[in-house]
Amino acid sequence: MKQQNKFTTGQEQTSQNRAANSGELNFENAEDLLRHDAAQTLVPPDIARRLSESIAQEPAPRQSWWRKLLS
Amino acid sequence: MVMESSMKVACAEIPSPAAADTQLLPAALAELYSAHSRAIYYLALRFLGDPQKAEDATHDVFLKALRHLDQFRGQSSARTWLYRIAINHCKNMVTAWHDRHVLPSSDHEWAERLPAGDSPLRILETKELGGRIQQALDGLPEEYRLLLLLVSDQELSYAEAGALTGQTADAVRGKLFRARKAFGALFVKTE
Repeated sequence: MKQQNKFTTGQEQTSQNRAANSGELNFENAEDLLRHDAAQTLVPPDIARRLSESIAQEPAPRQSWWRKLLS
Repeated sequence: MVMESSMKVACAEIPSPAAADTQLLPAALAELYSAHSRAIYYLALRFLGDPQKAEDATHDVFLKALRHLDQFRGQSSARTWLYRIAINHCKNMVTAWHDRHVLPSSDHEWAERLPAGDSPLRILETKELGGRIQQALDGLPEEYRLLLLLVSDQELSYAEAGALTGQTADAVRGKLFRARKAFGALFVKTE
């Protein structure tokens, strides 16, 4: 796993224990906090709908003249 | 650096990734979107600091990706490729809007203002946590903000984060040290 070189074993263990019994969250560093924040962040479902609408409006790829000639 | 707050909270549940909506998308994009939309949206959200702009940016990034899918040759990971598109797009948005505040220009200035030492972040309340994180990130120089967001993604190595920001892995490590301290100092002030 690529992330393994970013933390020491001790740091990883601390991170894993952050949601301990007290309900208090402990983060080893800023990245750990951001990782938690990212996990809590929900991607708005509207983006996929907008994407599908945008894709439907995309012009079909232009065919070159020689392809048209051969077809 | 002391990172404590006096708030109380229960640990929040982690919502599941947005995957159900991908059935609306073409198969080629659905797979990319399902695997990477959270990472791209989060980068855009915290880099731009505005949910609506982040939504627009995520839409635009995946549309660009679809248009240029034939150019993705697998030399980098799909995540890295999408991040590259997202970073360029978000930076262009920031430049166009001119709505960022003025930041100190050099690492040296920042280093002088940072407290010595480093300590874990202890959070007792997750309510408003996103707002506090955003506030702290907004106070960072753009490069620090971007580095912290990139290296917080476990799928990205320091070398990949460096490639995305035009520097070596060693340079990333050095700047990350200062970025962490700067973030910590700013985060404390958000209490």
